[in-house]
Amino acid sequence: MPAITEARPAAHKGPRGRVVIFGTWCKGCGLCVEFCPTGVLALDQDSHPIVVAPEKCTACHWCDTHCPDLAIVVQPLEVAR
Amino acid sequence: MTARLMQGNEAVGWGALAAGCRFYAGYPITPSTEIAEMLARELPKIGGKFIQMEDEIASLAACIGASVGGLKAMTATSGPGFSLMQEHIGYAAMTEVPCVVVNVQRLGPSTGQPTSGSQGDVMQARWGTHGDHPIIALSPTSVRQAFDLTVQAFNFSERYRTPVILLLDEVIGHMREKVELPDPAAVRVVDREITSVPAEWYRPYGDAPSDVPPMAPFGTGYRYHITGLFHDPAGYPTQRLDEIDPWIDRVFRKIERNLGEIVLVEEDGTEEANTIVVAYGATARSAQHAVKLARGQRAKIGQVTLLTLWPFAEAVIERVAHTARRIVVPEMNLGQLALEVERIAGRRKVVRVNRADGEMVTPMMILEAIERK
Amino acid sequence: MSKDEHSAYNYLRHTKKFPNVWCSGCGIGIVMSALIRAIDRIGLAKDDVAVISGIGCTGRMPVYLDFNTMHTTHGRALAFATGLKFARPELKVIVIMGDGDALAIGGNHFIHAARRNIGLTAIVVNNSIYGMTGGQHSPTTPLGSRAATAPYGNIEPPFPVCELAAAAGAAYVARSTVYHAVELDRYIEQAIRKNGFSLVEAVSYCHTTFGRMNKLGPAVEMMRRLKENSVTKAAAEKLAPSERPDVIVRGVFRDEDRPEYTALYDEVVRRAQGAAGASVRSAGGAG
Repeated sequence: MPAITEARPAAHKGPRGRVVIFGTWCKGCGLCVEFCPTGVLALDQDSHPIVVAPEKCTACHWCDTHCPDLAIVVQPLEVAR
Repeated sequence: MTARLMQGNEAVGWGALAAGCRFYAGYPITPSTEIAEMLARELPKIGGKFIQMEDEIASLAACIGASVGGLKAMTATSGPGFSLMQEHIGYAAMTEVPCVVVNVQRLGPSTGQPTSGSQGDVMQARWGTHGDHPIIALSPTSVRQAFDLTVQAFNFSERYRTPVILLLDEVIGHMREKVELPDPAAVRVVDREITSVPAEWYRPYGDAPSDVPPMAPFGTGYRYHITGLFHDPAGYPTQRLDEIDPWIDRVFRKIERNLGEIVLVEEDGTEEANTIVVAYGATARSAQHAVKLARGQRAKIGQVTLLTLWPFAEAVIERVAHTARRIVVPEMNLGQLALEVERIAGRRKVVRVNRADGEMVTPMMILEAIERK
Repeated sequence: MSKDEHSAYNYLRHTKKFPNVWCSGCGIGIVMSALIRAIDRIGLAKDDVAVISGIGCTGRMPVYLDFNTMHTTHGRALAFATGLKFARPELKVIVIMGDGDALAIGGNHFIHAARRNIGLTAIVVNNSIYGMTGGQHSPTTPLGSRAATAPYGNIEPPFPVCELAAAAGAAYVARSTVYHAVELDRYIEQAIRKNGFSLVEAVSYCHTTFGRMNKLGPAVEMMRRLKENSVTKAAAEKLAPSERPDVIVRGVFRDEDRPEYTALYDEVVRRAQGAAGASVRSAGGAG
């Protein structure tokens, strides 16, 4: 399992993480959307999270360490210097 | 082994060790504490484990936890503690975890008379916890039998993956007799069936030819789930009737199809006796004396001594009831197992001899009932 | 494991139905996730881990986890776990409880397990209510709060969970919240590594019962309150006693080395066997 390391901001252009949501497990509690520090996520009309600003993901892992249903995961991206 | 003077409670301890018990968790309560004291001394000598828990609820819980860990486990208590253990007797029955619960009965209810004998918990042993479940309960009539039936209790609990209750009364528990215990090597010991299937195939509650699925100890590669909720063959909670009903059928069947082995009874002159005395525990000793006296007057008297109280010895009672016109049932309670005898043999035939004041039913009381016109 | 999968999946029972049974937004799932991260970081073999629970919403956690798991009776998980740990000292035994489970009906076993300092990791998910049975007040429900059985306001002062465990003798005591999930998994990791009785209080919330009855809003609101209404131990020490009386203080309150029960019993076995020097690991495993 990839060690979850604190994401240290570094001067770069693109996102550092790619957010994947599992609709079947997500109950739409809204925690990830509410507390994502950079607004990557938003609620759709069924109040389920969708990725609206993928480029803003800093791979801080708030969402996938707080999802009560393990229904979201942040895959680290190779960061282009 | 050489004969020596031994107390009933102590014999229970030696029986447990001979049966392979390596874990005891209990709480002090008269008249059973000698069992705990003996095992606190003897278990660590053979690498076994003894713990005194904070109450009887915790004691049986710890035994079940240890049994899940692979050790044969026992607790011993008396009425008040036995009442506290009921929920976990039900849990052990539901989760099919082997364990032995010794209840050295004392006069109840409540604090009652801690140092006086009683057989007042017989129905509690059968119906004490909530819900329907099978149970095995044994009751010795001597210090030697206290040893033998403790071994038997472990063997039944291991073979059938069930809690087994060993009902002593304070008389058997505290009295001392000359006893020659068998050599431990000569004692027949049954161990639970351990599984050997690949881990992903293992079903802790799956069907088995014997109706008793093998039980893997925790930590040996079989990571399964145990719950007090109704569960499916994998042990996961279920509300599906097509999983609950088969479980109920199997769990009762695993006992009922083995009554031949489980129901232990001693019969003396019951073939064509017209009067039969049905007794158990310490009262069976008074009955033996009364029967001897009655036989002196040419009466055809027989005695059935029940070593297994639950499941009830229906077949035996039904058989002897054919010839007997009178069945005397002496008990140190106000009539408990007598209800079962009456259910089988009919109330008209049964003469109850009861006392619940802490004293033994005397031979004279039984003799009077035998000869009553 | 495909790259899209959550790293926790390696520890879930794939034969179990997901998503889990808890209400949308419930903190118990966050505690489970933190527990998995702690176990994964330590690198424990699944066979060597046992997770034991009592009755309540927390009781349904172990069945989801690919370890040796037991769902026992209300309040008694620590007693079952004591028996298992004592019989198999080599197992890492983790006990999941709710606040009512651990401190009301389970209070007696809680203080004695701590007093014995037997090697168990107790995680109390403290949402200050009996959630499963519909919102009755528990031993940690705040004074004055509404509950199904305190319709006029709770008049019973709550237990200080960590102080109780420490006073009873626990070797490790820490508190965090489900908002501080990464801090929580650190404390759980330390608790599991600890040789002795360790307690982690995971402050959570129940928006379904407690939140509704006390008009505290949905899960996101109650989560926000955990963020804004908690401070670290260091920060708390700077606060005047009367300042922020009901702030949640997070931190490690005790981390001491105390003789562990099963190790002490190995001494008993040695003394009993009169073996002068030979150390005898007591016979665990099949009886």
